[in-house]
Amino acid sequence: MNMLRTFLAMFRGRKLATIGLIWLCIVGLAAIAAPLIAPFDPLEIDPVERLSEPGLPYLFGTDHFGRDSFSRAIYGARMAVIIGLGSVIVALVTGGLVGMLSAYFTRLGHVLMRGIDVLMAFPALLLALVLMTLLERSVTNTIIVIGIVYATTTARILFGMTLKLKGETFVDAAICSGAGHGSILFRHILPNLISPLLVQASFIFAFAQLQAAALDFLGLGLPPEVPSWGNMLSEERIYVTRAPWLLIFPGALIILSVFSMNLVGDAMRDSIDPRFKDDIAGV
Amino acid sequence: MALLEVKDLEIAVAAGGALLPVVRGVSFSVDENETLGIVGESGCGKSLTSLAIMGLLEGSQLRLTGGSISFDGRELNSLSPNERRAIMGDQMAMIFQEPMTSLNPVYRIGDQIVETIRQHRDMSKRQASDRAVELLDLVRIPEPARRIDSFPHQMSGGQRQRVMIAMALACDPKLLIADEPTTALDVTVQKEVLDLMADLQTRMGTAIVLISHDLGVIAETCDKVAVMYRGKIVEAASAAALFANISHPYTRGLLNSIPVVDHDVEWLEAIPGRVPTIDETLPGCAFHPRCSMAEIRCSAEDPAPHDVATGHTVRCHFAGKGTV
Repeated sequence: MNMLRTFLAMFRGRKLATIGLIWLCIVGLAAIAAPLIAPFDPLEIDPVERLSEPGLPYLFGTDHFGRDSFSRAIYGARMAVIIGLGSVIVALVTGGLVGMLSAYFTRLGHVLMRGIDVLMAFPALLLALVLMTLLERSVTNTIIVIGIVYATTTARILFGMTLKLKGETFVDAAICSGAGHGSILFRHILPNLISPLLVQASFIFAFAQLQAAALDFLGLGLPPEVPSWGNMLSEERIYVTRAPWLLIFPGALIILSVFSMNLVGDAMRDSIDPRFKDDIAGV
Repeated sequence: MALLEVKDLEIAVAAGGALLPVVRGVSFSVDENETLGIVGESGCGKSLTSLAIMGLLEGSQLRLTGGSISFDGRELNSLSPNERRAIMGDQMAMIFQEPMTSLNPVYRIGDQIVETIRQHRDMSKRQASDRAVELLDLVRIPEPARRIDSFPHQMSGGQRQRVMIAMALACDPKLLIADEPTTALDVTVQKEVLDLMADLQTRMGTAIVLISHDLGVIAETCDKVAVMYRGKIVEAASAAALFANISHPYTRGLLNSIPVVDHDVEWLEAIPGRVPTIDETLPGCAFHPRCSMAEIRCSAEDPAPHDVATGHTVRCHFAGKGTV
């Protein structure tokens, strides 16, 4: 309850961020209650109704298989949340572990961080494409690949912060009280990293959406039958002149969601790290 | 057999492939119920000595290059990390200079004390928490039962230092190392903290190594004093003997730079110059460039330790020959 209040306090006086938060809540609700909200089965094919215009009963129109675009968009929200959360978890756990262990055990760090440097030399999308071509198209693999891509930046950030915390007197004091490596890393250092991790999570969540949409569009992300916003764009792109709404709706959903997540992320970072406040005042 | 015995301790810092010595052959011992003061300017190696005793040099640029540290009859450097961890916080504990940063900002102070206790004692959370309240009461934190739920940022510097002391005392250590425990505190709080430590010593018989740059603090609290300069002990004696017969010009310099309240002094005599940096090679006595008594001999020949009285050792060519 207390945490919720602190979280909401971050949005006081930030209109755009508040709108972003509300939009994310709507997306979240749609994701949770997709089967209740969606009027049709997102996979049900109805050739008679193909490429019908937005209206009733098909709010967003139908695609070239005659599937209801609105229902697919609702289930797409569910996919967006799954991909986002999954990538955040993979990125924070692997990146966090690599960063923290590298900073704490200096020798191991020399090896691991050079590996991270190599991965970071690739542009994010290229790295994801390479990894994706090695793996099969599936939800899990997409999550793993996007997670690994953003684990690199997480590792870098946590490496620096752990290095700094490691020099703090309270870590020395913990060693003096007889704490072992595990206890120092996870009980003394990790809790001090929670706020930067949260901020990092919000940005990874947003970028994962873009990355997933890009992979879907290039036909390397989720399997084609899975309703996701990226897949909707990818499949219907040849109908852009005949049925532009098939691209406008999922496109707008992606843009709105990513934009909202960035706004929320900014609001969180500002209240946690006041150094950036002036750069984006008023947002 | 003394409780803590440091013999010929050598510490060097690794810089650009070379090892530069920073602590050169330091020896001292502390018994139960005894307070040893180590005094000297910044950069003379007194904190490094304490870090070496606690095994905190690991992972930094600093290397233990020689000497032995034996605690309660066991050679600390030959212990495995696990054996060492079992001793640290249990039988020996340390208090740090900055009370503002030596407590973990994200934990309630009670939890930090409880964790230290449970690291070494087989106690339930409840028991450990009761013990934490007891400890806070012992270090005279008002309303300890309520204060264990405070976060460090809700306490003042003096209170935090008391919490640190409480944490250090959690398992009734035989040895307490205090690295400038009062430097970051203002004078009235300083006095309270020192009194507290002295009081706890008489009650528990703890041996204390007190590190300070303040001869006044040392004079008030210590039984034995070791004065360090550039990694060496230049004068060591019992506090009474040392202050009765100061025999090293550096010790004299330190004492002269303290203002005396009931004398009207125009100028305080500071020691001229600064502590030489570790990469300067200096033949002869390390103090000679700053010493008012220095002669040609001082820049050529490093003085050997010399006993001016039983138990009063001085490293100076002029030791025992007239006043300094």
